[in-house]
Amino acid sequence: MTPRGLSPIPSPAVDPEELRARKMKRRAKVIQELVQTEKDFLTDLELCIREVVQPLRNLMVVDVDRLFTNMETVCEVSAALLHRLHEAMADPDPEAVVIGDVFIQAKAALEDVFKIYCYHHDEANASLKSYEKDEEIKQHFTTCVLALKKIYDKEGKPNLLDMGSLLIKPVQRIMKYPLLLGELWHATPEDHTDYQPTQEAFTAAKIINININEFKRRKDIVMKYKRLEDDGTLRGKLNKFNIHSIRKKGDRFAGYLKILAGADTQVRDEVFDREEKLFRSLEKAARQLVKNVQCYLQYTQEMVSVAVQSVQDVKNIVKDSNKNDGNGLVHDNGYDPYKVFRDNLEHLVLTPLSSLHGMFTAPQKLIQKRYDKLLDYCSRLERSSSFSSSSSTTSSSLSPASEDPPGPAKRDYEALNALLVEELQRFNTAAYTILTNSVVFLVALLRGLMNNALMGAPSVHQLPPPLSNIAEVQNSIMDELNNLTFVKDNAQKLMERKVSFEKRDRKTAVPEVQHQTEEQRAWLLAEYPVNRLYQLKRKCNGCQEQDLSLLEGELVALIEDTDPMGSSSRWLVHTGGMQGYVYSTFLKQYNPLRDSQRAGQMAKEQPQQQPPATVDEDFDDLSLFVSGSGSSSLRSFKLSATDSCSILSGLQGELESTEDTEDTVDSEAQQYYAVYAFQARCEQELTLQEHQHVRILQFCDLGGNKEWWLAEANGQKGYVPANYLGRMSYA
Amino acid sequence: MSWIPFKIGQPKKQIVSKTVERDFEREYDKLQKLEDQTKKLHKDMKKSTEADLAMSKAAVKISADLLSNPLCEQDQAFLDSMTALDTAMRRMDAFNQEKVNQIQKTVVDPLKKYSSVFPSLNMAVKRREQTLQDYKRLQAKVEKYEEKEKTGPVMVKLHQAKEELRPVKDDFEAKNKQLLDEMPKFYQSRIDYFQPSFEALIRAQVVYFTEMYKIFSELTDQIDQAGLTDEQRERETEAKLTELRALSIVADD
Repeated sequence: MTPRGLSPIPSPAVDPEELRARKMKRRAKVIQELVQTEKDFLTDLELCIREVVQPLRNLMVVDVDRLFTNMETVCEVSAALLHRLHEAMADPDPEAVVIGDVFIQAKAALEDVFKIYCYHHDEANASLKSYEKDEEIKQHFTTCVLALKKIYDKEGKPNLLDMGSLLIKPVQRIMKYPLLLGELWHATPEDHTDYQPTQEAFTAAKIINININEFKRRKDIVMKYKRLEDDGTLRGKLNKFNIHSIRKKGDRFAGYLKILAGADTQVRDEVFDREEKLFRSLEKAARQLVKNVQCYLQYTQEMVSVAVQSVQDVKNIVKDSNKNDGNGLVHDNGYDPYKVFRDNLEHLVLTPLSSLHGMFTAPQKLIQKRYDKLLDYCSRLERSSSFSSSSSTTSSSLSPASEDPPGPAKRDYEALNALLVEELQRFNTAAYTILTNSVVFLVALLRGLMNNALMGAPSVHQLPPPLSNIAEVQNSIMDELNNLTFVKDNAQKLMERKVSFEKRDRKTAVPEVQHQTEEQRAWLLAEYPVNRLYQLKRKCNGCQEQDLSLLEGELVALIEDTDPMGSSSRWLVHTGGMQGYVYSTFLKQYNPLRDSQRAGQMAKEQPQQQPPATVDEDFDDLSLFVSGSGSSSLRSFKLSATDSCSILSGLQGELESTEDTEDTVDSEAQQYYAVYAFQARCEQELTLQEHQHVRILQFCDLGGNKEWWLAEANGQKGYVPANYLGRMSYA
Repeated sequence: MSWIPFKIGQPKKQIVSKTVERDFEREYDKLQKLEDQTKKLHKDMKKSTEADLAMSKAAVKISADLLSNPLCEQDQAFLDSMTALDTAMRRMDAFNQEKVNQIQKTVVDPLKKYSSVFPSLNMAVKRREQTLQDYKRLQAKVEKYEEKEKTGPVMVKLHQAKEELRPVKDDFEAKNKQLLDEMPKFYQSRIDYFQPSFEALIRAQVVYFTEMYKIFSELTDQIDQAGLTDEQRERETEAKLTELRALSIVADD
């Protein structure tokens, strides 16, 4: 009935008074409508609550809060608004009726309560849909709705009701306010007291709506990007991989490079940058603090366990004694204070810090997103600016077109930016508080720990004074201990062992064995027949009484070949200087020719032409028959092991001097046998069969080659490879 | 102290009386246990000092990291608090180091010295054992000759064997007596030896903790500007955390 929109252009004929009166009439009507609709709204809400919300709540089959959010609060606010409207209207003078103020006062409350409701409305709808799939719950809904319907029908207001329409009522209401208030404003004459307030109220209502939308939008953005990030599956990633996204990423990459190259972005937000920097520092601090405190706690644990162990050890050592100074020993093994410390530390410091640290991740993602959007926006701006600069003539037609692309980018960026700036500030302050609190707690806990550790321990004054001479006391005890005989005796031995062996050997091995002198030897040789003369094969140390210590090669004369005990292995001998016992295994028959020690010296003294002595019977390990004066070919003998190579040299010395007697050697018939069969390849060689006995005539061939020996077998002579021959051993 | 028991069928000729042997064993056991205990204590004390040092270093790291955080540049109050914290931690570390050194000097090193006596003891016991074996062997030999008929060479041998036996027997008895005398003394000495060490240990700990308490009390005064009680502070932290969770940028599901 009331004409919408502005008042028609007044014809100059119309009376301003008339106009005003008409306005006032309209104003009254608008106010009437406003109040009435508010009343209806309130009634609807109340009924809904009474008939639907509360029964459902009692049934407890659905999450009422999720469905209806804060409908009860909306109801309260609405009731308050209505009440004040009534108050305002109570004034009989229409000129004095001020509606605008009511709304101005109520705007904050309205915004808060409706913001929440509207924000959750989408979710509520979603959960409603899911509930309606359940037959039983649907039944409940229907019951309630029918009850409600009945009431409406009674009042003569048949409405098509279902749960959805109930839920959407507050949303519709808040959107109505700007419209109603706008009408009211236009219906109010300019000179009316209410003109200004209504104008303000109108603006306020519009702002409320914008805010609610913005709030919702921000949450949507966050949800959108959060969901995008979460979809990390391969399929999800592939799905995102389309032309659009590739192009986007390409642009962004270019943007990154530009920034890296140092180009300044066109769009900057100082506030944001500052907040972001703070954010990052806080994150780092929280992260490090968590890690370090955990590390510290871990070490403390270790230390405590070891300390307890040590105390136990100490107790063990002192246990046997009757003295019970154990009291003093129960010092800081208080694992109790430490346990308390640890529990509190975890509770008061680590848990909050960990939660805090966890909360940093989501904003970080959003910051990253914002950055991306920023780059998008910047690149669009550049493109649009380059467009507009290059095409000035057609700019008018192009600019709208080029305005478009930056549009969404700009919007996204600005939305994200605004969101982040505002919320980061709050985040940062809160995080900072938490951080400082944690640090304070840490310090307080440490102090508490130190205090508790001291409990039960004597104070510094009560303790016996520090033995400044503790070192002296202990050293004196150590000296006493060291004086104990067993230590004295053995410590030295141990020390000696540690010192190098040579030194010890030098210390202990003082040879007191006298060398046999020449005279003694001469005397022995003169006094005793040769067959009773023996020579030391090796050095012998006398162990028992009356044993002699003799050196290798010394000459002794046999006196008795048994000892008083009857053992025939121990002989009484004369060294020319003294008599004593020597084990017979040390002795060998003396052979003047092969007196190794004399080989050089006696070469002049002793006649070299002595007949070769008989074979020595105890050349160790050898089954070799060495003739006393062999031919020069004896040099080619392969002696497997000699007692001392001096004997060989002695041999050689002798051999050289007795070369002229080589014939006699031949006649001695060194018996050899063929180890392997040998096939003669020419006349000079001799065929041999395996194990055939041969007689060696010469131990080298005509050319002097020792590899070939002249052998005789079965009346035939020939050369045979020396290494095919083996000695006949008559050991 | 050896008495020659009946020659009839005793599986082991008792050179040394059972009681004596038992006493000896008992004393030696005690000392062996003591040796193990001192070794263990030495090891544990070393581990303990290492753990102490590690713990202290971790504490210093806490404050060092915080101090190096860029937050300090932006916020003067924060910088002041962190500097105070860092100073306190470093002082704690210094004290700790001193404590460890003190313990090292008064407990660990003496422990080691005390332990060095044990090898000598063990060696002495071993030598006594060897002597005992020799003694037993020679004793058996003498008895063997005594059983034979008394011919000339036998007498000679018997005489010689007896001559051999005498010094060994004396040696063993001397060693035995010596050890029996000295082992208890050694065992007793541990009390007097270790008492000062342990007292020093306690003292070091007490001094350390007293100092630490003072340091941290000062620190709380410096840091805690708000002056809230613990519960209040805890509640504030919880409130802040809830606030954070309510923010839209923080993931809320």
